[in-house]
Amino acid sequence: MSVLSWMSVAVFLAAYTLIATEKVHRVAAALGGAGIMLLIHATGAQAAFFSEQSGIDWNVIFLLLGMMIIVGVLKQTGVFEYLAIWAAKRARGRPFRLMVLLVLITAAASALLDNVTTVLLIAPVTLLVCERLAVNVAPFLIAEALASNIGGAATLVGDPPNIIIASRGGLSFNDFLIHMAPMVIVLMVVFIGLCWLMFGRSFRYDPERAASIMELEEKEAIEDRRLLWQSLAVLVIVMAAFVLHPVLHYEPSVVALLGGGLLVAATRVTTSDAIAEVEWPTLVFFAGLFVMVGALVETGVIGRLSQAAVAGTDGRLELTTMGLLGGSAVLSAIVDNIPYVATMSPIVEQLVQSTGGAGQGQVLWWALAFGADLGGNATAVGAAANVVILGIAARNGTPISFWQFTKYGLIVTAVTVPMVAPYLWLRYLL
Amino acid sequence: MRARDLLADFPVVGLDSPVIDAARMLAEQDLPGIIVVGDDGSPFTILPGTEVLRLAVPTYCQDDPALARVVDEAHADAFLDALNGRTVREALPRQRRELPVTDLDATVLELAALMARTRSPLVAVLGDDRRLTGAVTLQALLDRMLAT
Repeated sequence: MSVLSWMSVAVFLAAYTLIATEKVHRVAAALGGAGIMLLIHATGAQAAFFSEQSGIDWNVIFLLLGMMIIVGVLKQTGVFEYLAIWAAKRARGRPFRLMVLLVLITAAASALLDNVTTVLLIAPVTLLVCERLAVNVAPFLIAEALASNIGGAATLVGDPPNIIIASRGGLSFNDFLIHMAPMVIVLMVVFIGLCWLMFGRSFRYDPERAASIMELEEKEAIEDRRLLWQSLAVLVIVMAAFVLHPVLHYEPSVVALLGGGLLVAATRVTTSDAIAEVEWPTLVFFAGLFVMVGALVETGVIGRLSQAAVAGTDGRLELTTMGLLGGSAVLSAIVDNIPYVATMSPIVEQLVQSTGGAGQGQVLWWALAFGADLGGNATAVGAAANVVILGIAARNGTPISFWQFTKYGLIVTAVTVPMVAPYLWLRYLL
Repeated sequence: MRARDLLADFPVVGLDSPVIDAARMLAEQDLPGIIVVGDDGSPFTILPGTEVLRLAVPTYCQDDPALARVVDEAHADAFLDALNGRTVREALPRQRRELPVTDLDATVLELAALMARTRSPLVAVLGDDRRLTGAVTLQALLDRMLAT
């Protein structure tokens, strides 16, 4: 490799270390790394801003932007609070039934929206309901974080790694529904069983406490019914447009942007309020990551890594798939799965091409998605939703320690990831 | 007009006093806040009434206003029960703010600037011996200024 290649690897590893250790703000680390890559000519403005292969993936950035606007409006409607209290009433205050309904709501919402927003909306209402029932809230919060990571794996928009994978792999919303969602449903059934084994047996039912749940007034959560129906209508239109991509030919990023725009135009929400809901630091973080990884593509590092991966697995797709699934799960447990997937996507893209393109080789994309999404469950820092849950628990006086979360996360990961291996094997490799 | 002209006796609480007692003082004496003194009797900080509420209201209701609406009236009426067994120290913000304290010779503009900067509805006033002699409230300050 050339000196420039080695320099780009050094810059990348330094920035990655800073992101993983959180020594500096992750946005500063990603932008700093991108800036140095440009400074040493590991990449240039043309590649960074305009190249589809080695530049900022604008499809990802604008899809995230559009969904953030939609979610920002949707969370003002109170629909999540309504659903969670409705679930508590349907469960008649029985703790395990309540947990099942809450994890199902969390998983379903995470498939349609992003995981962090989902847990941010579900966790406060969980605290309220558990306080009424006088049950320990920690198992509920942990289960919700784990469910959001599993549910988010089901769709293109459910988890940021999936958005990156879809854009890089040219995969549609329906591809995710066909290849990821069925297995995610199976995983959720198993996860509920695990919840019973891990938490459910310790719950105690108190009829008096359960009766107080019935006094909650879930309809009060919805202050503006018009906004609720408008938001739900736009969400349905957006999801329909995602599914109808083969007919309409609108890219997911375009659908999300149009949906966000329609929502702002049709409701009382002002443009400035909608823009305020956008997590700009996250978008800038993605841009920085793409420039850094693009520099590795430009300097030929990614190409060499891909060749090494092909040589290391002797071109055997089975071995590559299982290695990618397991390796992604382990690495995503340790570091944030977003930079991991941003780095691995160009490598996987070349591996897929080396196995003949869109045919059988596509299993590698699913291995990467399952590994990264489910691996995030293993530790308290493996996924953003886990970190958010720990923060909410601490602020409400019911702290969950790193190891308290991780011991359950490891069990769930150790069960779910190996379950994916036979699924991939039987469906794609036989 | 100076601080000594607006000075009023002011109740104080200790850091380890029950916060429910502080809440009662706020209510019974119609105070905007209360002076918290340290073990040596010198002013430690000002506890505004809103910080007492912050301790009483569940964090999830502060994070998500929709949840405050779903709580039924009977339970909502009992929200101050959360103060039982808790101390003034627990009600104080984690990051200690600038202490709004001045001396007897402070002008009304100095008092107003201190209240505005520290966002405190009252200012503790120290005597010449540097001990707490009383306080000036926002209400007293505005009353006197608007009356002139």
